[in-house]
Amino acid sequence: MDYGFSKEQEMLKKAARQFAETKVAPKALEIDEKGAFPFELVQQMGQMGLIGLVNSKEYGGSGMGHLSRMIVIEEMARIYPSLGFFFQAGNLLMYALENFGNEEQKKRYIPDLCKGKKISAFAVTEQSGGSDPSAMTTMATRNETGYVINGRKSYITNAGVADVLGFLSKSDGGFSTFFVEKGTPGFEVTRREPRPGFRSIPINELAFTGCHLPLGNLIGQEGRGMAAALPTISAIGRTGAAGVALGATQGAYDGALKFCRERVLYGKPIFDLQAVQFMLVDMNNDIEAARWLCYRPAVLLDQGKSAKDIGVDIARAKFMAVDVALRTCLKAQQAMGAYGQSPEYRVEMYLRDMLELLTAGGTQEIMKVVIGRSLTT
Amino acid sequence: MDIVVCVKQVPHPDHFSQITLDPVTKAIRREGVPLIMNPVDRNAVEAALQLRERFPGKVTVLTMGPPQAREALEEALAMGADEAVLLCDRAFAGADAYATALTVAAAIKKFCPFSLVLCGVETVDSGTKMVGPMMAEFLDVPYATNVKALKLTNEETCLAETDLDNASMKVELRLPALITVNKAINEPRIPDVMGIMQVANKTLHIYGAKDLGLPAEKLGLAGSPTRVASVWEFKKDRRAEILQGSPKHVSKDAVAKLREWGGL
Repeated sequence: MDYGFSKEQEMLKKAARQFAETKVAPKALEIDEKGAFPFELVQQMGQMGLIGLVNSKEYGGSGMGHLSRMIVIEEMARIYPSLGFFFQAGNLLMYALENFGNEEQKKRYIPDLCKGKKISAFAVTEQSGGSDPSAMTTMATRNETGYVINGRKSYITNAGVADVLGFLSKSDGGFSTFFVEKGTPGFEVTRREPRPGFRSIPINELAFTGCHLPLGNLIGQEGRGMAAALPTISAIGRTGAAGVALGATQGAYDGALKFCRERVLYGKPIFDLQAVQFMLVDMNNDIEAARWLCYRPAVLLDQGKSAKDIGVDIARAKFMAVDVALRTCLKAQQAMGAYGQSPEYRVEMYLRDMLELLTAGGTQEIMKVVIGRSLTT
Repeated sequence: MDIVVCVKQVPHPDHFSQITLDPVTKAIRREGVPLIMNPVDRNAVEAALQLRERFPGKVTVLTMGPPQAREALEEALAMGADEAVLLCDRAFAGADAYATALTVAAAIKKFCPFSLVLCGVETVDSGTKMVGPMMAEFLDVPYATNVKALKLTNEETCLAETDLDNASMKVELRLPALITVNKAINEPRIPDVMGIMQVANKTLHIYGAKDLGLPAEKLGLAGSPTRVASVWEFKKDRRAEILQGSPKHVSKDAVAKLREWGGL
């Protein structure tokens, strides 16, 4: 199928698939079982230039854009969704710094993040949730030399391994976006959340206790934090989640199709049984529809549309991709019978991971709220 | 040191079941089958790139094939090759190993000065292993095949370790020479993003039959002495029969059955 990829994007897809199949696949199950962050793979991806696709060449990226990023996330998640999910969270701060940071911040952090030498996270959610910023309690109080931060953040992806973390906080003038380096006094990455999915990606709580940050750690303007955080969450977080779901869906489908062609029952492959074949047809239809919905916002972002203008397209992509992923994983399990529960067939991993995406980047219901708003205007 | 790497675009082995045979021309029908660079040709490209690091020069990658074969060349360019040559002309169609070797050798002689020509030992779609050695004959250079290790101490000689059936052999070749490599020689790199982005700035030459100056009767099907008498699809047949009795009798019966069924 021709999705309108450029020649470079076709080659990028091949290279990403080759990397995923030859470097990631042999290690994925072991890494997942151990719950160990795949530092080596992330560094290799950085060396290949796969991490900095939406960052400009000036700061160590390639500027290949959002569709290219979607292609790579899909290919990684097809083999190992956790690695795709790394992009969902790892690119957030990179995008925020590039689009809203100052020159010094960009030069200091983005090149190493692109190369995989450093890892980043971005924190919005608190105990009260992530979708209602007014309930946020983390507070930045201005003093003569900078800001004093107090508060806690919850369910922060990559936090346990991040060298630098962006975060949204209340401040005197409204909301502000900051970054904090690992090891800063008064800042602590605390409890790792036990999660069913994305087992190799640490999801932690953060604690700020009188943490002093210099003025240079403010991203953008004080009181204008939402202007940096919201487009970042939408253009990177939600599209990333959609890409992970799309890739995992393809992986689950590929696995089920192969299994059903090989598994013989009553003297013939179970693929020949129409009841099974219809399940695979449903999956195939769903993937094709989800793929178009996922690529659309990425293409629009590359065309220069703002995340705000295409918020509905992004929300729809995330909602549909995750919805399709969950029902595809369930169908794949059903088609594969007891084998579908076996770790070596990976479908159970895809299903566990997709449950995490119900909330990542905003719940499915929040996606409906975004889409619903567009119906009333 | 200038190196030429010969590659071929072949059907993806994961999709071999989609390949059919034309009963009239007896040629492989590849329509709709995804195509890739012949896997071991990627090892040849990698070997060239590694040699270039020690002996600076130009790595030229070359293939003969239809227009879409440029994709294999572009992959090699993304890996790091400096320029590419596509031999593309309807007159080349239907070439057997002999006509292919003759055509490619003529192109190398005319357009690609070289110290070393590298090829994959065989292709996954035909597997004759003949094109490399034949090219060496046409180029009038020494050659070694099925090479698993290659060492250059200077720009005049190379030491190649070749895999034989039950042994290995070390041979020294005076350059220029031709080497066919196997998969043990290295692990090919995966193109990175910068390599992919640089492809558009690299040169890809396209030459046809007229550019080579070879007579039409030497090219393609007309220049191919090989005639395929017949082709058929291999059909797998599974049968099971349980033999009973003493091990001595069962083993005798098993051999007789296998002979009867054409398995021995």
